[in-house]
Amino acid sequence: MPTNSQREKDLIKRAQRGNAYAFETLINDYYMTMYKIAFKWCGNREDAQDITQNASIKLARSINSFRFDSAFTSWLYRLVINTAKDWEKSQRRHTNSTDTDIEQEISKEAKQEDKLYTQQIMDQITELPRKEKEALIFISIEGMSHKQAANLLGCSEGTISWYIHEARKKLAERMKV
Amino acid sequence: MTEENKNTKIDKILDDTSFVAPSENARKRAINMAISEFESYNEEKKQKNSQGIISSIRHMGTTLFNEWRDPMNKKFLYGGMATAMVVILAGGTAFYQTINHDLVTHVSQDGTTLVPHESPPTSSMQVAEAEIDLGATTQLQEAIPVPKAEKLIGNPTNRAKIAPAAPADSMGLAQADSFASPLAGAPQATMMARSSDMIAPPVMPVEPYDPYYQEQGNDQFEEHEISPVKIVKQEPVSTFSVDVDTASYSFVRRQLKNGIKPNPDAVRVEELINYFPYAYEGPNNKEAPFKANVNIIDSPWKEGNKLIHVGIKGYDIEKDVQPSANLVFLLDVSGSMNQPDKLPLLKNSFKLLLSTLKPDDTVSIVTYAGRTGTALEPTKVSDKEKILSALESLNAGGGTAGAAGIQGAYALAEENFIEDGVNRILLATDGDFNIGMSSTEEMKKLIEEKRESGIFLSVLGFGQGNLNDHLMQTLAQNGNGIAAHIDTLNEAQKVLVDEATSSLFPIAKDVKIQVEFNPATVQEYRLIGYETRALKREDFNNDKVDAGDIGAGHTVTAIYEITPVGSGNALNDPSRYDTADEQTEAQTDFGDEYAFLKMRYKLPDEDTSKLITTPISTKDQSDATENQLFSIAVAGFGQLLKNDKYVGDFSYDDVLEMAQKGKGEDTFGYRAEFINLVRLTKSVSE
Repeated sequence: MPTNSQREKDLIKRAQRGNAYAFETLINDYYMTMYKIAFKWCGNREDAQDITQNASIKLARSINSFRFDSAFTSWLYRLVINTAKDWEKSQRRHTNSTDTDIEQEISKEAKQEDKLYTQQIMDQITELPRKEKEALIFISIEGMSHKQAANLLGCSEGTISWYIHEARKKLAERMKV
Repeated sequence: MTEENKNTKIDKILDDTSFVAPSENARKRAINMAISEFESYNEEKKQKNSQGIISSIRHMGTTLFNEWRDPMNKKFLYGGMATAMVVILAGGTAFYQTINHDLVTHVSQDGTTLVPHESPPTSSMQVAEAEIDLGATTQLQEAIPVPKAEKLIGNPTNRAKIAPAAPADSMGLAQADSFASPLAGAPQATMMARSSDMIAPPVMPVEPYDPYYQEQGNDQFEEHEISPVKIVKQEPVSTFSVDVDTASYSFVRRQLKNGIKPNPDAVRVEELINYFPYAYEGPNNKEAPFKANVNIIDSPWKEGNKLIHVGIKGYDIEKDVQPSANLVFLLDVSGSMNQPDKLPLLKNSFKLLLSTLKPDDTVSIVTYAGRTGTALEPTKVSDKEKILSALESLNAGGGTAGAAGIQGAYALAEENFIEDGVNRILLATDGDFNIGMSSTEEMKKLIEEKRESGIFLSVLGFGQGNLNDHLMQTLAQNGNGIAAHIDTLNEAQKVLVDEATSSLFPIAKDVKIQVEFNPATVQEYRLIGYETRALKREDFNNDKVDAGDIGAGHTVTAIYEITPVGSGNALNDPSRYDTADEQTEAQTDFGDEYAFLKMRYKLPDEDTSKLITTPISTKDQSDATENQLFSIAVAGFGQLLKNDKYVGDFSYDDVLEMAQKGKGEDTFGYRAEFINLVRLTKSVSE
């Protein structure tokens, strides 16, 4: 996990220059981060694994477009969410054609609604102001302590709390129908 | 929902950091795939930076094989799926539209994959736009109602934000981090590209790393040399087995659609040519099961050379006289089949096939890999409901335990054996051949043995990334069947419906072709394609040597390129043609023959071969028909993809021109699709 941001920066730069070792280290470091995002998105292991796999492959080609103007994790977050959306789309196309049972359908729909709600929120997170977004991703997705997040973002723990508070407030506003 | 409730709900979602850990295998697989992708990407970049793709290929010759292997294998693991799915949903008459649309969109997609590293930095912006366009059309086309989402996205602002987000990121991440607006993102991306170009030296040193990444199960191809030019005086006889497989074409098509030039070893020119139906003249009766149409045409890629075009057409069985069929499906239901372009596509393909069968035919299903068992006892096609419900329940793990895999399949086939009918096992897999036999050899032996008893085997390959092409070919060849890649429902339609009679009802087996060239008129020759089908000269008359089958109505095309003896001075050459000494006077009799064509075949239920011969006269020269032109265009295309050195300056443009001229009626739209594919290849290559 990104406890050593200099190391992370170094790895990314080397990977951007085509160094496969660096990329390997990086993907090893961040697989779990991506997986957690994916898991939160879809709520089950199989799908999360698929999404993370797609995101990992995507990362191989897009690492070059990371510009160090945000935390790598929050950039990855966006990558995973976008991958998840693409994946979701392709799944939807495919399941549409088969299922039949009505009762199953209904309970599925309820679950589906919850899932969609979660996904809406996760999608909204990408639209938050940078600092708030980063704080929220570190805390809520990565499961870091406020202290760790504060270290990473170079601010006090109190500021982190405030970012989180702001982020939640904005999300709640944006989720109003 | 009250305000408070909603806040709690958001909190609940945000605070819940619990998750189920991924399996170690999934983690490793993802990481390995990403690393391979990273490697290919950098390889592509290196090639772009040095010479541009095509020129580098030409110069690198055979080493190219390894360069392409990786990108080829990885890309479509995730790239091709969407393609396949669109086609499945489209169904019916919408097929060709979809295909065409697909091709068009992929033009821009390949742009995004390949162009950015090659062209000047400004391309990033174009790419970003292309992505958005692409997304928009894709969305329109899908038009799948999603009422739930609609409700939640009711808020117009949200809708505006959410709608473009999904498509825009299907490929790159040019704007991944620019949250303000897509338009603002594009110029930034441009600057990015520029600055990274400046930092990066043109050729980047890539550190070597652990070879274990290459151990993944990937599509495997056998390496083979391109058939060389032979000197007639040294080797006057060319012998090969017919090949009616088409797997290579679907494979190549899929890769090209994903913006990747296929591994030259994956390109089998004869399979590309034979993918297309040609309206050659056929025989009038079943006794002479096929007919060879020969024409001699000027070579389009080398002035002065000629092409001997041999178009063979099998006898066409009318549907009402189709023999009865006893088909056993041996289906791979392993976990890896659980992808949209595999099991679901397989099921739909199966339904298509059902529609071509007669009510009296029997179908059974045996599963393996996931759970071995009989998912469907032999059932008459008239009992469609039963078949369909068995098919639908395949997800669930399919059926009760029974004999293991292939053994079970053969047992069922034998149980219902139809004398004078078609008894065939259709093995459908994505590469898992663990069908209950301990070794490949044992498997081949069993298939051969059962072939003798009249039960044939065909192999249908699904999905990409794990296919063992060589093994598929070998098994199908041993089983007197076809090997086909089913990558879209359209392809299933072609293999299982349009050509059902030819794939299922062989009218001749062990068909071998031998051409003996006349040294008096031909100096050199080469056979285009058929590298994997070459036979020894003496095998031609040996009925024990297995060869390919021809099904009802099938066409097989073989093209030789010859260099005629320049002077036309034929008097000094030996008689027909290899009678050791150059003594006789009889040779003049053959002065107007380029070659002598012999074909051996067996009728499906016979063990002794019959012979058909045709002299190929120098006078057999007439204008190429549309069918001939088109097949030569395909041959040219295949050779270009193989980086064949014999085609000189022949280009994709020449292929296009010939294909256009030879397009003809094109009832099924295959030729139009080919033409699009050539255009796409051209854009990938330039």
